[in-house]
Amino acid sequence: MTSTTTFMNHRSARSDVTSLPAALNAESIKISTIRSTGAITLLTAAIGIFATWATAALVKDEVLVVSGVFVYSTFLTAVLAAIASILLVTSEVQHGTLATALTAQPARWVLVAAKTVTAIGVGVRLGIIGMVTGFAGGLLGGLEIGDTSKMAATAAWALIFTALASVLGLGVGMIVRHSAAAISGLLVWWLVAENLLWAFLPATVSRFLPFYAGGALLGVDVDPNTPETIAVALTRTQDALVFGGFAAAALVAGTVLLHRRDTN
Amino acid sequence: MITVASLRKTYGTRTAVDDLTFDVAAGRVTGFVGPNGAGKSTTMRMMVGLTRPDSGSVRYDGTPYTSLRRPARVVGSVLDARCMHPGRTARNHLRATAALSGIARSRVEAVLAEVGMESAADQRAGGFSLGMRQRLALAGALLGEPQVLLLDEPSNGLDPDGIRWLRTYLSDFADKGGSVFVSSHLIGELAMFADDLVVVGAGRLLAAESVAAITAGNEVTVVVQTAQPQQQVELERHLAQAGLAVASDGPRLKVRNSSRSAVSAIAFAHGIAVLELSETTRSLEDSLLDLTAATAEFASA
Repeated sequence: MTSTTTFMNHRSARSDVTSLPAALNAESIKISTIRSTGAITLLTAAIGIFATWATAALVKDEVLVVSGVFVYSTFLTAVLAAIASILLVTSEVQHGTLATALTAQPARWVLVAAKTVTAIGVGVRLGIIGMVTGFAGGLLGGLEIGDTSKMAATAAWALIFTALASVLGLGVGMIVRHSAAAISGLLVWWLVAENLLWAFLPATVSRFLPFYAGGALLGVDVDPNTPETIAVALTRTQDALVFGGFAAAALVAGTVLLHRRDTN
Repeated sequence: MITVASLRKTYGTRTAVDDLTFDVAAGRVTGFVGPNGAGKSTTMRMMVGLTRPDSGSVRYDGTPYTSLRRPARVVGSVLDARCMHPGRTARNHLRATAALSGIARSRVEAVLAEVGMESAADQRAGGFSLGMRQRLALAGALLGEPQVLLLDEPSNGLDPDGIRWLRTYLSDFADKGGSVFVSSHLIGELAMFADDLVVVGAGRLLAAESVAAITAGNEVTVVVQTAQPQQQVELERHLAQAGLAVASDGPRLKVRNSSRSAVSAIAFAHGIAVLELSETTRSLEDSLLDLTAATAEFASA
């Protein structure tokens, strides 16, 4: 047992900040020691390689190059990044380890900060894997590499998209706290509700839909784009701000709820 | 010392904990007992900052839990032994727990050995029995070499050997100066190693005393059977003449608030042969059931 002087060791803002590396280390251990992390990584790689290979093999009516198609799978990568980050919280709630974490670290913002950094790391890592395997899939599909001058910028915007999607997923996980509800809710909004809204809302409004703005970061022309939507389209920076705004709002809401709610 | 002062928590119109005040002394094992729904778990959650009280406070040598800089080094708690990811191995579970509290990795191996789980260290928690989970959860609580242990039903799922081990471990922990606050439904088990008891019912404090004080009022009954029926009548008369509260119960006599030596001395003095002479005391369990009977939310028929 330690001496009673430990009792006198009060928390302070400074001690909270200095405990952040420990919280990050714990998150790193947690995420690297469960099988779902490996499964999501493998799925990202498989989707990356298959999506671009299939595109290269099946699309014959336009000229495709590897430097263009390597980000095609990033939209799905972002979905997986969001799911992985939802699980960062909901899996802890489900298995009761959030309570253990909160007793070890009463400064809840420290846990949120560590999880946010981890989520960004997850998004970037999956984004890189998705693009690398996408690149390989394009080559396997027999495409030419093409003009590589814009690849670095496209990859950077794609990584911002996957990182922000990951943060958004973390926020949704903190708000909903239930894996199935959070994942299904996010997917229904992303893949169904937003597409319906996009179809009915005027382009001046629909450009502010979160995943429409997020997807636009990839710079990939999509079929539903019309002259009207192109005319009012936001710049990539604006798209990033819109999507990042939604991600930040979800994270703030989740953090407030984590502070206010009792944890079982 | 843990000081719980005027703790109160309500959920809607239901009061889970109502003005609870008690102390948990260092160097002693304090049992926390009460019927289902008495507010034990809510109280323990408030003691570690997971549930926010409406009013009142819990302090560890004057410091609230949420103000402790490194709480794991002061308080080791197990509120639910199932709190572990089923896909994570025991060692990795402890590694993550230790890392969050800034505790050296060497402690992981130490506590695994302390709870006898070295051989299962690389097995996933999903395959553990409840008893193994209890041991692993306790290992997590011990990582920071705390001065206080807060344990909610720690013997649930443990085999008899495990229960004996836990009893010895907690007693030794208290003997070394630590505070142990342990809730349990196994009152007989608690009676074997708790020094003090905090008894709650319907969220209110019913008693906070030493086990000895709680059982002090329990009367002793001496049961005596004579060799011959006529000697029973004779002995009953002599016992009554000696001022003892004696009553006939079939072939036996029951003497309340006396002792075997007193009864046997009277029988011997009058040359009465005795076949049976035994002493029964009401158990701690009886005392606690009496204390909590009026507040039990879920009573058996």
